Amino acid sequence: MHRSDAPPRVPQPDDAFAGASPQAGFPEAPTYFDRPLLKAPHWGWNVVAYLFVGGITGGLGIVAAVARGDRAEDLRLRRAARFAGLALASASPILLISHLGRPERFLNMLRIVKFKSPMSMGVWGLLLYSGTAAGSVARELIDDGTLSRRLDRFVPPSGVLLQALLGCFMSGYTGVLLSATAIPLWGAGKRHIPAASVCSSVAGACAIASLYSALEGNMAVIGRLERLEAVASVVEMAVLGDFRRISGAYGAPMYDGPRGRRFRNVTLYGGILIPGALSILGGLFDLPPRAQKWRTIVSSLLTLAGGYVLRETLIEAGKESAANPHAAFRQPQ
Amino acid sequence: MGTPVSMATGFFTDATLCIGCKACEVACKQWNELPADGFEFTGDSYDNTSQLSGTSWRHVAFVETTELGDAGVTDRWSMLSDVCKHCTAAGCHEACPTGAIIRNEFGNVFVQPDVCNGCGYCVVSCPFGVIDLVERFDPLGRQYNLATLNENRREENRTALAGSGGVAGKCTLCYDRQKLGFVPACAKACPTESIRFGDLDELRDEARERVANLQERGVAAALYGADDVGGGIGPLGAFFLLTGRPESYNLPAEPVLPSTRQRAGYTAAALAAFGLALAGWAIFRAS
Ligand code: SF4
Ligand code: SF4
Repeated sequence: MHRSDAPPRVPQPDDAFAGASPQAGFPEAPTYFDRPLLKAPHWGWNVVAYLFVGGITGGLGIVAAVARGDRAEDLRLRRAARFAGLALASASPILLISHLGRPERFLNMLRIVKFKSPMSMGVWGLLLYSGTAAGSVARELIDDGTLSRRLDRFVPPSGVLLQALLGCFMSGYTGVLLSATAIPLWGAGKRHIPAASVCSSVAGACAIASLYSALEGNMAVIGRLERLEAVASVVEMAVLGDFRRISGAYGAPMYDGPRGRRFRNVTLYGGILIPGALSILGGLFDLPPRAQKWRTIVSSLLTLAGGYVLRETLIEAGKESAANPHAAFRQPQ
Repeated sequence: MGTPVSMATGFFTDATLCIGCKACEVACKQWNELPADGFEFTGDSYDNTSQLSGTSWRHVAFVETTELGDAGVTDRWSMLSDVCKHCTAAGCHEACPTGAIIRNEFGNVFVQPDVCNGCGYCVVSCPFGVIDLVERFDPLGRQYNLATLNENRREENRTALAGSGGVAGKCTLCYDRQKLGFVPACAKACPTESIRFGDLDELRDEARERVANLQERGVAAALYGADDVGGGIGPLGAFFLLTGRPESYNLPAEPVLPSTRQRAGYTAAALAAFGLALAGWAIFRAS
């Protein structure tokens, strides 16, 4: 195509549109009237609540599985975790439907199974999990004589393990659901957001279980639950700190400004540090039972609020991230 | 999910030939029975459409810049009709949990509105910000894109669309017109053949020839999406000839197929979950 004699320098597209409005942290590039390139998620409180509730129900599956089968207080805890797990699993489709608009729309997702879509995997995961959660509750009801022994063969013992495995999935897939999208902030957290979701879900499940146990007076398990919650929270904090470091300018909508401040105050301080301090307090001093109970209730509620705000921050910051064309021009790998 | 690559159709849109008449936008709205998006002056050059959306499936971008150089002020002026890219590996298609988004017999990415449940997951999964939900459909009782659908499913579609929550909308590459052997409405209406429709392999050859020809004449020109755009997306089924950086037309320089991050995500989640389950097991056994 080119002439055989020395061709003139081929002008590069860059020459034509030099001059840019660089935004902090992103390489200099022109924008199209600073318009967003990506579409922001159409997701409101019901999706935030679903991410929160769906995760915690999964975490409760894990809590139910690790409780010991040979200790009375653990058996009570297991029963509590199973009932709460089923209740939250049943609330999940309601939240999804409130987002979709009409109940039949939920059924459209049952036409297919698609491994490439975390949304599809999640719906099937939720249904299977709900099945095993119902099985576990049936087991409790058979064991205490509410249901007939004849139903025994319908609830195999292997259901417990299956519920725990599906619980692991439920506690974290919502993180993959976010990170496997084009939203730059979420994509930048392809490992961190799923890991933080799991930690927050397990911590939230411990908080629900503690709350339940404190209210029914099963104080003996609180210490163990709080220890597991502390492990999950410490890992969550480390993951979120590391995400801030590696995400750079992609992470700004989550960590900077008023939203970042709220996130730090409610999730990191209120949801992790204060409950941690409260459980150390509970361990160090021999508090009277009433004080112990209230300490547990306050600390659990704080943890739950922190978990909710983590999800809310992710969604709202994702909207801001989508609106920044610079973040969208070079999408995280 | 096999792709009938052998006979895929697509668009080649050439910014050097676009005169900004927006005939494509109008033809698309007319043919596909898309409602108007309101009436707003943006002040951004001649562009009041602003973006592709659930009801605007072609969008003419006006890239108007001035530069102060030795020869005084020079204007640069470039128009480009943007459209859904009908990606080889399409984020929207992979994300859709209902199977509403399919790849049709022409190799195009097509949304079946009667199957879509309005979850909006495709919206956040398109690396090009193309597909969007049409919320609160149709207060005037007009039809939305029913022309592209099978006759005996029209009633179902009408009910699907009349509900709350909305459905996803984007370019169908005029599926219905292609079935009848017609050229898509936008390409048909384009007075300068800036929008070319046809067999993708032929279009790509044509585009390579065109860009070489332009470069030889000293025009800054480059193809976008005729070859693999990277990030796992592959070549685009609707590709472009640009005279500026992709960003200046609001096209991403480095798009990424979202599903490529899933493996890392599931692995991280599994490690965290199994780790915590193990920790919990140990804690309940230790005391
Ligand atoms: S450009 Fe977006 S909407 Fe079009 S096929 Fe690709 S992912 Fe789907
Ligand atoms: S909004 Fe509709 S087309 Fe988009 S992913 Fe959901 S079901 Fe599929």
